[in-house]
Amino acid sequence: MLKKRIIPKFLFNNGRLVKGLKFHNNHREAGNPISTAKVYDSYGVDELIFLNIFPGDESKTQALGMIRSVSKDVFMPLTVGGGVNSLKDIHDLLQAGADKVSINTAALDNPSFINEAAKHFGSQCIVVSIDYKEVAPNVFRVFSHGGTTEKDFDPLVWSLKMQENNCGEILLTSIDRDGTMEGYDLDMIKLVSHSLFVPVIASSGAGSLNDCMLALTAGASAITISSMFFFTDHSPIKVRSFLRSSGIDVRASKSSRN
Amino acid sequence: MIAIIDYGMGNVHSVSNVVNYFGEEACITNDPQVISQASHLILPGVGAFSSAMENINSLLLKGVLFKEVIQKGKPFLGICLGLQLLATHSYENGIFDGFGWIDGEIKKIEVKESDTLVKLPHMGWNDINITRQHACFDKLYDIEGLSFYFVHSYYMNVFNEMYLAATCDYGIEFPAVIIKDNIIATQFHPEKSQDNGLQLMENFLNWNP
Repeated sequence: MLKKRIIPKFLFNNGRLVKGLKFHNNHREAGNPISTAKVYDSYGVDELIFLNIFPGDESKTQALGMIRSVSKDVFMPLTVGGGVNSLKDIHDLLQAGADKVSINTAALDNPSFINEAAKHFGSQCIVVSIDYKEVAPNVFRVFSHGGTTEKDFDPLVWSLKMQENNCGEILLTSIDRDGTMEGYDLDMIKLVSHSLFVPVIASSGAGSLNDCMLALTAGASAITISSMFFFTDHSPIKVRSFLRSSGIDVRASKSSRN
Repeated sequence: MIAIIDYGMGNVHSVSNVVNYFGEEACITNDPQVISQASHLILPGVGAFSSAMENINSLLLKGVLFKEVIQKGKPFLGICLGLQLLATHSYENGIFDGFGWIDGEIKKIEVKESDTLVKLPHMGWNDINITRQHACFDKLYDIEGLSFYFVHSYYMNVFNEMYLAATCDYGIEFPAVIIKDNIIATQFHPEKSQDNGLQLMENFLNWNP
């Protein structure tokens, strides 16, 4: 059967990888992107996600160079996002070696951009990234512009709309849990992944092996892990072997190359 | 020199990165002259069947590939959409003719409405079952299964099981690898499947059918 995926997620900021907390700008340094990608490749993780959080055209060029280098040595699916707002941006990233692009603000500004992107490049490479926050008890809203601008959409409503517009996958990120390592938002993961037919990648909150198991059991097709890999001694190998012993179907193979 | 056929559908660059990784010269091209000089041909591709055929027809590539692969017998690797294009026809958003090199038709993977946890596209790592040994499967690394990376919503229903070399299971059983004479085609992406994908591509580059 299809395996559940374990995906390290990196924030790319001005040439370096960083890790934030609840989308604030108090970033912790997390390493050089190319060498870090190679390390995770040697662990045999299932995919990598890079989100470029530094604004501006110069930063886009820098991100393209980074993906070009990573894709020369790392042969697994690469998703890249951050400031993607035109067909040209998507084209450039795919040309540079990305397999999928993640789109957030541009979809909220113009939902039909997702139809257009899927039509041009195929829905399999269009990931819609949804950042959401609990704005009042049990009231959830989607945010654009790196978590700074509240939009009048509930995450479930918005994800259904994006599925209708032919996206290939949803990257579902809880802003409240980002970097906290307090566990994934299991209720939202369950709700969204049971309502959609496209795969849902659960993001934010992983702090323990058990958290990973719970998110996948709740219905996520994949989980992203950042802080837990960067700042604890849990490696992808450990996560994988724990999940397998919990009866979750993840890949067993470890990279033997090098 | 390895020709990677460029017909405007998908990431030809990851394929050329793998070819370069093995020290071979990769040429991303749709020029019949260049294609005729290549030792091996690779047809990658992602996206819709009809747009792919439209591009291939307008670049007059169908005849060029027929000459190189069917008549001259050059080793050929089709990847993902590059497997599906070999079929007789496809039912993806209409009915469209393919190359007709493999008797088969392209159909959508059916997901039961009630089962939202069987997702489409079929995206991620899945195990394949090899049904016929072949040089392109040499030295694959089997730890409790042989996983490769898939991204697709359609599959080939092969009429002649003789050409089936490996299958995959996702609600239905469908061809993961098809082999006919000097033609090998994978529904998964070997260029994105880490060690085993690299091994399969290396085997292909060394294959002299």
